[in-house]
Amino acid sequence: MGYQLSRKTADEVFGKLKERYDIFAPKLFQGEGCFSDTDIIRYGKIDSLDEIEYERRSDYSFKEALIAINETLFYFTEDETTVPSCTDKKLLIFLRSCDLHALKRLDAIYLENGPEDFYYKRLREKASFVLMGCSQTCDTGFCVSMGANQTDQYDLYLKLDGDFVLVDCKSEELAGYFQHLETEDCAVTADYVTENKENVTLPKNLSVDSFQNPIWESYGSRCIGCGRCNFVCPTCTCFTMQDIHYRDNSNVGERRRVWASCQVDGYTDIAGGNSFRKTQGERMRFKVMHKIYDFEKRFGYPMCIGCGRCDAVCPEYISYANLISQLAKEEA
Amino acid sequence: MGLDINTKKAKKNAFRISKERGIGASRIRVPGGYLKAEILGMVQEIAEKYGNGIVHLTTRQGFEIEGIHLEDMDAINEMLQPIIELLDINQQDEGTGYPASGTRNITACIGNNVCPFANYNTASFAKRVEKEIFPNDLHFKVAFTGCPNDCGKVRLHDFGIIGMTMPQYDPSRCVNCQACVKGCKSLSVNALRVENYKIVRDEEKCIGCGVCITKCPTRAFTRSKQKYYKLTLMGRTGKKNPRLGEDFLIWADEDSIVKIILNTYRFVKEYIDPKAPGGKEHIGYIIDRVGFEEFKKWALEGVELLPETKMKECVYWNGIHFDR
Amino acid sequence: MKNEYIPFPSQVKEIIPHTDIEYTFRMSFTKDVKPGQFFEVSIPKYGEAPISVSGIGEDTVDLTIRKVGKVTNKIFENYEGNTLLMRGPYGNGFDIENYKGKEVVVIAGGTGLSPVKGIVDYFSDHPDEAVSTTLIAGFKSPSDILFKKDFEKWEKTIQVIKTVDSAPEGYEGLTGMVTKYIPDLPIVDMENTVFITVGPPIMIKFTIMEILKRGIAEENIWISHERKMCCGLGKCGHCKMDSTYVCLDGPVFNYAEGKNLID
Repeated sequence: MGYQLSRKTADEVFGKLKERYDIFAPKLFQGEGCFSDTDIIRYGKIDSLDEIEYERRSDYSFKEALIAINETLFYFTEDETTVPSCTDKKLLIFLRSCDLHALKRLDAIYLENGPEDFYYKRLREKASFVLMGCSQTCDTGFCVSMGANQTDQYDLYLKLDGDFVLVDCKSEELAGYFQHLETEDCAVTADYVTENKENVTLPKNLSVDSFQNPIWESYGSRCIGCGRCNFVCPTCTCFTMQDIHYRDNSNVGERRRVWASCQVDGYTDIAGGNSFRKTQGERMRFKVMHKIYDFEKRFGYPMCIGCGRCDAVCPEYISYANLISQLAKEEA
Repeated sequence: MGLDINTKKAKKNAFRISKERGIGASRIRVPGGYLKAEILGMVQEIAEKYGNGIVHLTTRQGFEIEGIHLEDMDAINEMLQPIIELLDINQQDEGTGYPASGTRNITACIGNNVCPFANYNTASFAKRVEKEIFPNDLHFKVAFTGCPNDCGKVRLHDFGIIGMTMPQYDPSRCVNCQACVKGCKSLSVNALRVENYKIVRDEEKCIGCGVCITKCPTRAFTRSKQKYYKLTLMGRTGKKNPRLGEDFLIWADEDSIVKIILNTYRFVKEYIDPKAPGGKEHIGYIIDRVGFEEFKKWALEGVELLPETKMKECVYWNGIHFDR
Repeated sequence: MKNEYIPFPSQVKEIIPHTDIEYTFRMSFTKDVKPGQFFEVSIPKYGEAPISVSGIGEDTVDLTIRKVGKVTNKIFENYEGNTLLMRGPYGNGFDIENYKGKEVVVIAGGTGLSPVKGIVDYFSDHPDEAVSTTLIAGFKSPSDILFKKDFEKWEKTIQVIKTVDSAPEGYEGLTGMVTKYIPDLPIVDMENTVFITVGPPIMIKFTIMEILKRGIAEENIWISHERKMCCGLGKCGHCKMDSTYVCLDGPVFNYAEGKNLID
């Protein structure tokens, strides 16, 4: 159901939503970029619509609203384990079409691959998603190539339009916030882009033989293994376990899981000293093949949704999009 | 009729008297070494009209237009006017060129306009100080550099300002990739270690270079909102006792530094040797003569340091002594 | 909803030392478990490590732990009567049914013997259920030999080749790599033979090269992979090879499929 609200009404609705929901959206964090006097856009809890960075794509994806960078699985005291309680509130997450497509990938790993993940599921069940349309393409994204430029899988679509806010509500849970308002119903369709600056063709004939391609070493030799590409990626889900004991009472501690990167040293190290992917080239191949080849073999669709964040963040100017296109070109 | 030139006045007007009789050079100050490209064209015009077509890029980031005839100084000053205005140099009388030359051009590395390591905008701080201290005939050298790499070689100056940032650490964003630890160890002072999978920063050791922040892939390390500086004092070259400037303030703020430099002008006026040749005695030698304690008293007058600023109560210089 | 990450305490019933750094912990465990499966074993505050099942009793499960990391070092300080925290069992494990009525050859290197020990135990206890059973077990040196008591038992019922890479002078046992003993293995019917091999990646690689030279079909070779596993639940990603999660789909693979799994 579509509505056109005045900004004032929208702010009032937002105030009501806040009572029941923790609302996460991309925010500008001034001065918190990598370099002096540079900013970063990442997710954070917001208190008003004004805080949302609506124009530019976030540097880091929405995934941290569902998968904490550091997630305490349980606390232990002697033989007891205590699972931290979950927020009473529901979650409302603002995101773009690409990220909503990425959500399906997170679900695939955390809900379908092996047993359901307790921690992911308990948050996921509380979450509703607000689509932020894209009126123009971002710089490095190739969502159109990946078919992630458009979605109708949102609970709410919300567009800031000058003095007005346009809303399309698909969810029953959220409909109550809009139905009683004295607003004119109107048809609202979500903005989406039909063209990107980047166009990527996926290689169609990848196989185990592709592992021998010299392209991995050629890109790998430029990679510094910092893991930024993984940390900004909305579809990367890997984590590592950490057990810690508190310094002032070593009988008490916690086990947590922490985001991990397949590009960073230690990812494949096992006790006893063996390590399975030692070079950055092998790690690059592992990542790229996962994004465009083996995830699809397992789940039936590619992992990558073409948000382009990895290309934008790489300090060594490695373009994953270009790498893929080169693979495709070699096939032709 | 011989050429009748007041060389003292000419020198203070930023002209050099060259080794060739009747020929001098015009010196153009460019605070922070930061200028609009159109100024290059103006410099070219003067060099081709009044000079010999050659321009020297000075060691202090200015221009020196070679081969000018000393009798053309007034005409050159007229042509310098748009440059002086574009660079916003303090001046009493329009069209009369530079009102002083003792306080040298303020230099700066490229800073955070361009460089990923820099912790602040060196050019704009340089310009701020230029506005505060110029014109003045006292011989002061001030230089700015963006980070402790000190590409600006500020430790060879009376006042060296080195950019710092106080790393802000959010453990909830840290994935223990240790890029910061490795970066600090290989590029800086090895002030970080891991404890319980999180980073512990040795605050005594940390020099605020910001390497941990540029290396961090998750924004667990970010820069402090407050910009910090290290102030080094009384470095110099020279015939008697060249030496590197020593740390005076660490984690200092911009206002305190400006005030200390201004206070130092008052200190120098009070204590400069009245018989110094050309009225020119370097500050460092004055401090050597009257003692650091006295300098400090004058320098810190009315200065309110940040609570986190560390001050060296005593400063000792070493360097090479050719004068003993 | 079940929280798969919460471990259960299990009592250490017995400790069987093999070498200075390798002990078997006999843990109380009553549910179903297969050889080749693994548990995530943890000590609160120190962390978890994936450990293969090295023996299955009535109400116990054996975990042979090599003191190689921070976690396992700490486990060695806990002894009988104490508890360890465990999750699992995880993974597919070996299916004995695949090997019954065949000529069974088990080739293991070092602690790689743990995951296949259940199979050796089974055919040693039920020698009639296989045409023949051969174990080739390799260790670095005589002091690294594991399961000494078990070897005494196995030697009575099955063919055992126990070899060490290198030995001090005067050592009376066999020496050399496990691969040395593959060419001369007496095999009656290659089509009715299965090879099961577990050990360090480099050993598996050369062992398989030798096995294939004997003309066996890839489908008759079974391997087990040891990889980094933080969760055992198909989530953490570390053990993935191609589209396969070793913790869910492995660690036991038929070589015809497993050969395509490149790290």
